[in-house]
Amino acid sequence: MSEVPKDNGKHLDEMTLLLYVERQLDRARGMEVSAHTQECETCRTLLRALERESRLLTRAMLEEDEPLPSRLAQFQERARKSMQWIWGLVFGLAATGAYALYTSYIQPWQLQLEQAGFGGSNLLGLLIFQGAMWKGWQSVITLLEVLAMLTLVGLGAVFFRRRIRRGSALALVFAGFCTVLAIGPAASATEFRKGQSPTVNKDETIKGDIYMSGERVKIEGQVEGDVFAAGKDIEIDGHVTGDVICAGRYLQVRGTVDGNVRSAGNTAVISGSVGKNVMWFGDVVTVESTGKIGGSVTMFGDTLAIDGHLGRDILFFGGGINLNGGIEGGIREKGHTLIIGAGAQVGGPIHFEGEKPAEVSSSAKLASPVEFKQMERKKEYRDSSYYIWQVIWAAAYILFGLVLFALMPNFSEEVVKSTEQYGAAAGLGILVGCGLPIAALIACITVVGLFIGISAFFLWYAALHFGQIVVGALIGQWLMGRAGETWPLIGRMAVGFVVLRLCTMIPHVGWVFKYGAALWGIGAISLVVYRRLQPVIAPGMPSGPFAPPMPPSATMGGAVPA
Amino acid sequence: MSAPGITEPTEVIARAKAGDGEAWGQLYHDYAPAIFRFCRRALPTREDAEDATMEVFMKLKGKLNQYDTTRSFSAWLYKVAANHCWDMLRRRKIRQDKETGDLENLPLEHPDPSQLEKLIEERSSEEVRRALDKLGARARMALVMRYYSDMSYDEIADALGVRRAFVGVVLLRARHELRQALEGNAALAAGGAS
Repeated sequence: MSEVPKDNGKHLDEMTLLLYVERQLDRARGMEVSAHTQECETCRTLLRALERESRLLTRAMLEEDEPLPSRLAQFQERARKSMQWIWGLVFGLAATGAYALYTSYIQPWQLQLEQAGFGGSNLLGLLIFQGAMWKGWQSVITLLEVLAMLTLVGLGAVFFRRRIRRGSALALVFAGFCTVLAIGPAASATEFRKGQSPTVNKDETIKGDIYMSGERVKIEGQVEGDVFAAGKDIEIDGHVTGDVICAGRYLQVRGTVDGNVRSAGNTAVISGSVGKNVMWFGDVVTVESTGKIGGSVTMFGDTLAIDGHLGRDILFFGGGINLNGGIEGGIREKGHTLIIGAGAQVGGPIHFEGEKPAEVSSSAKLASPVEFKQMERKKEYRDSSYYIWQVIWAAAYILFGLVLFALMPNFSEEVVKSTEQYGAAAGLGILVGCGLPIAALIACITVVGLFIGISAFFLWYAALHFGQIVVGALIGQWLMGRAGETWPLIGRMAVGFVVLRLCTMIPHVGWVFKYGAALWGIGAISLVVYRRLQPVIAPGMPSGPFAPPMPPSATMGGAVPA
Repeated sequence: MSAPGITEPTEVIARAKAGDGEAWGQLYHDYAPAIFRFCRRALPTREDAEDATMEVFMKLKGKLNQYDTTRSFSAWLYKVAANHCWDMLRRRKIRQDKETGDLENLPLEHPDPSQLEKLIEERSSEEVRRALDKLGARARMALVMRYYSDMSYDEIADALGVRRAFVGVVLLRARHELRQALEGNAALAAGGAS
């Protein structure tokens, strides 16, 4: 190698030439270098040598001189195999969870609803609520069979997923299947009426279903189908041969409804007759002395007053029942009060879970005495079984979290990150946590929306629990530092959840931690779901060979002059 | 910049982002050889490169959601790999400094153009790879980032933690080190032959 000539007007230094070759010089300097190398043989030779050196380096590095090591080639396969174990575990746990959910929640509800005579008019409702799916099978299917069946279903899903290749396709098929089940038979003819006071006049007959909306909805004539109504006041003085499904402040039935009445609103007064069942989400239902209901009453609300006649049972959750009429079936109530007056007649059993025993008039005619159960309001902190159950519940939550984190690692990590957006997560949590069940309730009162409503309820309920797990993971990260991988995150979730659970056990304020964490978590979940539903810029841009970005001042360089 | 012979599998990337295991496997299948070669060039031993490749892909699983789909996936992947390899090398920094610290301060000798041309013409790719193995960590890393994965000066500056204006100097010094190594290899070969 020779002496170092500076850029003294005779030769360019090597650094300048390298930057020229690499297109890193600004335009003016590049022009100078270009002009110089056209004149100077020495610099041109060096420039050419540097270019060749670049090419040699690239060629030497890109050449595939050794194959991919078998350890790396097997890495993917090993990961896939280990995932199969995780899938097996997950489906096993999911099966156990589904069975526990069925026996703990769905079965008792199903029995209660069946006792109340409630049934849907769509296929799904028929299968689930009228027990057509379960009858005859319950004695046959054992826990082991359920586990085996669900595991098989899970493995089948994995098998087909490899062929369909898109989880969303499976979800779509499943959702489509459920929708088909949920959708009721198509209406033969449908009419729509809206305005200030839409009315079916006295001498009018509507053949088919009718949709009505307005401030004051009135049915004075005959509807040979279902009535779907929304309005401030809904009055039925005529004859409806199908169901009445409505939402409004005030519902008055003075006429005849051959089918069911399902409604959400403030007050319902029935002085006419309803052939089948009444389901009401709202404040007050009054069945006047002239009122007659052929089936049952299912109510979630404040007060149910019955002076008229009921063909079957009452299922009630809420404030209290005031009974002075006749019921051919029984009563099942979970509420504050039950008052049975002198004119009351009850043909079936009466189960009442409340704060104080029922007030029963000595003149009332009851088939059997009231079975009263004191509503438990305070937890027994001194009872050791309370702590054992707390440990069991904490373990169950952690297991639930483990399954979710292992099943959806990216989603879970995103949700945990979103919990750190404190304001947005908390605000959205309150909104979704309170709004979703209301929306689900509204969806439930329509036949088509029943499946959607119930699904929304289940999602909301699951999110309520998953939210606590997510907040647990965040607390774990506060205590143990951030985790970049899934399993360390699961470890932090377990630790954090135990801490959260301990906070929820503090008397008087524990519930604040519990519901605060649940809503916060729901907010974080909603944030991630919202982001994922946003349209993504189509990742379909073809990519060519990479060109290094040019500096803003523009660069200059290129081929060696001949 | 793509991994050699691979066009950007944008749909597979989108599916992998959504948590599709099969798509993830496809990405690994397509890109693991290129990333392994990158690591092999950047790191001193084959075992290091194998470990680094697996670690890069494990890290990628957590980072895939940060990938901006409007940019080149290969470029982004190489950046992740470069950062990971440089982190690995930095853990051995003390030793590296002892090896290369003095060289960093030496003034660069201007090459004789015709001798340099001759040297480059006579050397094979394999000799260059052997010479690369003898370079210091930073020199080697800089050359791999620039001439294997075609990273920009900005990206190299970012990965190595140096000012952008210094990247050219790092690359030039690396070339000088490489030339010395190539000359040393030739001398050794000649000595062995005599």
